[in-house]
Amino acid sequence: MEYKVEAHRIMSISLGKIYNSRVQRGGIKLHKNLLVSLVLRSARQVYLRDYYGGICLSAQQAREWCEGEYMDSEQDKLVPGSTESLPESDGQSEVAVDKQEPSNVVESHAALDVESEASGEQDHAENGVLDSGCSELKTPEESPEASPTCEVSNVVTTISSNCISGPPPSNPKQATETPNGCQTDDGESVEEKLHEPIVPHTCTNRKRSADDSELTDSLPKKTKVMSSTLISKNDEKKAETEEMDTSNVSSLITIFGSSFSGLLSSEDGAQPDSEAEDSDSGQICCDQMLKNLNPWSTAIVAF
Amino acid sequence: MKCFSRYLPYLFRPSSTILSSSCHTEADIISTVEFNPTGELLATGDKGGRVVVFQREQESKNQPHRRGEYNVYSTFQSHEPEFDYLKSLEIEEKINKIRWLPQQNAAYFLLSTNDKTVKLWKVSERDKRPEGYNLKDEEGRIRDPTTITALRPMDLMVEATPRRVFSNAHTYHINSISVNSDYETYMSTDDLRINLWNLEITNRSFNIVDIKPANMEMLTEVITAAEFQPSQCNTFVYSSSKGSIRLCDMRASALCDNHSKLFEEPEDPSNRSFFSEIISSISDVKFSHSGRYLMTRDYLTVKVWDLNMESKPLETYQVHDYLRSKLCSLYENDCIFDKFECVWNGSDSVIMTGSYNNFFRMFDRNTKRDVTLEASRENSKPRAILKPRKVCVGGKRRKDEISVDSLDFSKKILHSAWHPSENIIAVAATNNLYIFQDKVN
Repeated sequence: MEYKVEAHRIMSISLGKIYNSRVQRGGIKLHKNLLVSLVLRSARQVYLRDYYGGICLSAQQAREWCEGEYMDSEQDKLVPGSTESLPESDGQSEVAVDKQEPSNVVESHAALDVESEASGEQDHAENGVLDSGCSELKTPEESPEASPTCEVSNVVTTISSNCISGPPPSNPKQATETPNGCQTDDGESVEEKLHEPIVPHTCTNRKRSADDSELTDSLPKKTKVMSSTLISKNDEKKAETEEMDTSNVSSLITIFGSSFSGLLSSEDGAQPDSEAEDSDSGQICCDQMLKNLNPWSTAIVAF
Repeated sequence: MKCFSRYLPYLFRPSSTILSSSCHTEADIISTVEFNPTGELLATGDKGGRVVVFQREQESKNQPHRRGEYNVYSTFQSHEPEFDYLKSLEIEEKINKIRWLPQQNAAYFLLSTNDKTVKLWKVSERDKRPEGYNLKDEEGRIRDPTTITALRPMDLMVEATPRRVFSNAHTYHINSISVNSDYETYMSTDDLRINLWNLEITNRSFNIVDIKPANMEMLTEVITAAEFQPSQCNTFVYSSSKGSIRLCDMRASALCDNHSKLFEEPEDPSNRSFFSEIISSISDVKFSHSGRYLMTRDYLTVKVWDLNMESKPLETYQVHDYLRSKLCSLYENDCIFDKFECVWNGSDSVIMTGSYNNFFRMFDRNTKRDVTLEASRENSKPRAILKPRKVCVGGKRRKDEISVDSLDFSKKILHSAWHPSENIIAVAATNNLYIFQDKVN
């Protein structure tokens, strides 16, 4: 959560600088504003990634609730984990993805079993690439898996013994569904459907404000904080996480279907998509922030 | 007897006077410092658009202890604030750079620039004036026309006249100018373009580098500095905000968008943070006097590059690495955008650059020794020796050390200059100019 708050703070400061530059003497300094917008972009990526981690997680969760019996059995496995500690989730990416982790670890196992020929190598590569930050992604298709598995890999040792007893029979189905759910346009419609049941309670919890606490309140049901050991590991891995931002951003971008070229085109490209997501999920507290970036792009064009 | 060590630590002493304005206003902040090619003159430009030129006193037997002191030679208003009515923008009069031309006659010439306009100034002395205009003398006789007017001695007057004004060539803010070794042309650089001028022609300039993207939203980097190679008139380099330096050859094509060499060091992934891009932006680039090496300054380091090796710098010196953990607060107070300059000494063996708390650092490339010195009134009694300073990073602070948190970030040394042949340095600390000389009287 610390760096999410930090990211948010840096975003506010950056926007303040951009705003002030419009009134300072001598006109807008292109170099300084370019640097500020680079920082703004980085902070925004971190901020949105955490948020996106929550969204994906909720999609996962909803799918799990919808499916049948084996889901209950999974939940039984997960519930002990969930009761361990309260959803204090301050939005740490590891925390946000914790709930996802068991299922993802299951996925990766399943993927290894089922799709061993096709993607097994890549999965192996991913699992092997643990600490290098997964910054090199082989294919876009791998990236949604890559991001959660990257974070999973940090704590896979602590979790695997706790939660996973063995891949339930319908896991292959789950494994194939999940990556699709996160990637393609078809997946997006699936996501939209999944978002709908979630929307009501997210709407109640979230307000259109830049207040982090409200955002985190909306995440609790989806996140299970494993233990304090996780958090300490998270602190250690903070530097790595920032490295992983690149991979997560790439996954974000591929998911949104926009290309990542240039500075503002990435923002602009991501913006319409994120705004589309806004309409899906209702309200995102950094929506204001994202919308505020539009005047800047017009200012750049004015140059 | 004059003796000073060949290598660091030099024993620098301040002159008897510290040159500064009496009351400190924003307009008095020095924004550029430059020695002329012989070192006889030193020019400073400030935020108020003024240029002050200092001249070194000649040796005199009467006052041997005043040998080599710099005194004010000429002061003039180079640039005035302007208003661009089309864009509704004020153009600052702050002098961004001064570059001297080599001396070719009795007068001195320098180029000074603000954000938009470059001016060529002639600084010359006048010690005689014409007198006598009466066609008839006192008794009414008509005078011989050839003897009417004569030059009579007068008090020495130094006058500065603008000889050329090079304007309307830059859409963005000019950050550097560089005189070519052919002494006929010079280039001016803004954020996205570099223009080549002939010193004689003001109504035309040639664009030699243009990195403006077709779609401004695709902008990812800007040009931060550029310089001609000191001996080859066809070669120049320009640095970018992404931390790369490009060397271009004007013989290759008219538009030098394609570089001949690209000097870039891959980023260290372990140091990645929100501010990695800012601190890798190069703020200054300088060729060595030999022309063989290149020095670049980014926020935390100074790097020396060999022109023959593009993959990584030859040497990297940490200027103030203790700031690496404070980047966020430096971002908040805008200090992270400070553009520090760097200079070579005459023999290219020592490099110098500024830091905060009025500290400046020197690195000896041969002995790998470095020293931190402070430019302050308290430490600058005449003929005292500058004492090396040390910043304590953590743990126990020794008696003379200063801790990182006590550093004054409003006192920064961005601009400095080194005499072309002697160990005399000029250091600009906000509105004060300190001149230190390394010698024993």
